[in-house]
Amino acid sequence: MNDVLRIGDTTPKTAPIAPNTEAPPLIEFQHVSVEYPNRVAVKDINVKIQEGEFVSIVGQSGVGKTTLIKLLSKQEAPTKGSVFVAGRNLADLRDREVPFYRRKIGVVFQDFKLLPQKTVWENVAFALEVCGYSQAEVARRTEKVLDLVNLGRRQKNYPHELSGGERQRTAIARALVHSPNILIADEPTGNLDPINTWEIIELLYRINQRGTTVILATHNRQVVDRTQKRVILMKSGRIVSDQHGGKYVI
Amino acid sequence: MSSKLQTFLRVFKLGYVNFWRNRWLTLGAALLMTLTLTMISVSLILTYVVRDSADAIRSKIDITVYFRDDTVPDTQITALQQRIETQPNVVTTHLVTKAEALTIFHRLAINEDIKKPVTTDNNPLPRSIEVHTANPDDISLVVNGLTAIDSDKIICDECVSYGQNKATIERLLSLTRFIQKAGILLSLFFGLIAIFNVLNIIRITIAARSDEIEVMRFVGASNSFIRGPFIIEGILYGVLGTFFTTLLILLTAWLVSPHISQFFSILSLDLYHYVLHLLAILIFWQLIIGVLLGALVSVISIRRYLRA
Repeated sequence: MNDVLRIGDTTPKTAPIAPNTEAPPLIEFQHVSVEYPNRVAVKDINVKIQEGEFVSIVGQSGVGKTTLIKLLSKQEAPTKGSVFVAGRNLADLRDREVPFYRRKIGVVFQDFKLLPQKTVWENVAFALEVCGYSQAEVARRTEKVLDLVNLGRRQKNYPHELSGGERQRTAIARALVHSPNILIADEPTGNLDPINTWEIIELLYRINQRGTTVILATHNRQVVDRTQKRVILMKSGRIVSDQHGGKYVI
Repeated sequence: MSSKLQTFLRVFKLGYVNFWRNRWLTLGAALLMTLTLTMISVSLILTYVVRDSADAIRSKIDITVYFRDDTVPDTQITALQQRIETQPNVVTTHLVTKAEALTIFHRLAINEDIKKPVTTDNNPLPRSIEVHTANPDDISLVVNGLTAIDSDKIICDECVSYGQNKATIERLLSLTRFIQKAGILLSLFFGLIAIFNVLNIIRITIAARSDEIEVMRFVGASNSFIRGPFIIEGILYGVLGTFFTTLLILLTAWLVSPHISQFFSILSLDLYHYVLHLLAILIFWQLIIGVLLGALVSVISIRRYLRA
């Protein structure tokens, strides 16, 4: 796994990294199913995602997008099959390794999950503090990542003083502050108006262009049609299509 | 600053901040902790009171043999003392001279007007031997032996009344034991209820912050870092509970003390001073139990939020 600190990288890469299909996949789902006693969340999922890809997972609510994301962040475990990230089976991660694994993946949610009593700066810095970074390192990284999401001037504001787009940018900054290899966004634009939506999608592009693999779960047709990237379409817990430069077709 | 120390300081700060930010919940938890600790302290005090008063009462059962000033020379008394000491049931004997008796008399908590006329020159207090036996029941043997041989030398009112006292003393002792058992059972019962309440209120404080825990989890905080602030909070409940309990007990003892001074005269201390005398032990146990309980309950309550 590439451990380069991408946020500190001040020279943007000249071209988006072309996903290398020859290399071993960064993420691989092998015959993954999650079955509850009276419901099947996802069934026999087989997907490979290369490092540097921008993948949209689309489908209506309840088709299993969030389950896939929870599998990736190890909030859930497959009842059948295996999930590999950077060649490692997530089932083999020991409990105390999970926090360290989570620092390598950033997650963004529809409802932002910001702490209301903390400022923008504190929300982002908190993610570093809980992981034991030194105060100087916390300040350095927080500043850089707030610049990246263009929130430098709002750093002293509290979440309730921000627009939806700014809140989501704060959440993205927090997800990026560990320089994760993978950024997962679960319906990040679900609560946003069209303008803010584009702001967030543009930001995700930029992050992807810096080399971070981005996985975007959404049911927003316009977002997907404009991305012109790989689109995985899900229906009732199964993948029904997987195409590059794809569109949201039901 | 080493990173371990820095992490500890961060954890401590988070716990401390949470503690103050949720003032009302904190106060509720601390008061319930106070209730628990008060119950435990009451059991503890009762145990000590009964133990000490039983000791005191038993020591009163030991006999003192008084000698007539006119008929007995000092040499005979020492000889008698040696003879008593050789008896198998006797543990110790102590010879009280006239001078010593005078000091003891002047130390008694009685009217100064009564004390005043008694001086070294005018000292009617008799010499005596205090006899301590291993078992109070053996006293009668010693007494019988003494009265048979030396009855003319001994002022023997005590010897006669001993048998009657014994029954009263035994009744008093069994009553004290009953109070102790009933008190401890009641305290444990209420203590248990209080512990469940502490458990619940700490669960509520943790549930109120489940969002924060969730955020900490997905930004990659280790479980021990998440648990840390809650343990600090639990410990602070214990410390605060100890503080309140100590105040409460001292205040209660101070208010109640004059009303039950008669019973406590046995211990030659009133209740307030008795509790004061036990204070270090009480605070020690309150802190140990409060801190352990607070920390343990926090650890148990937060466990369900930390499953991967």
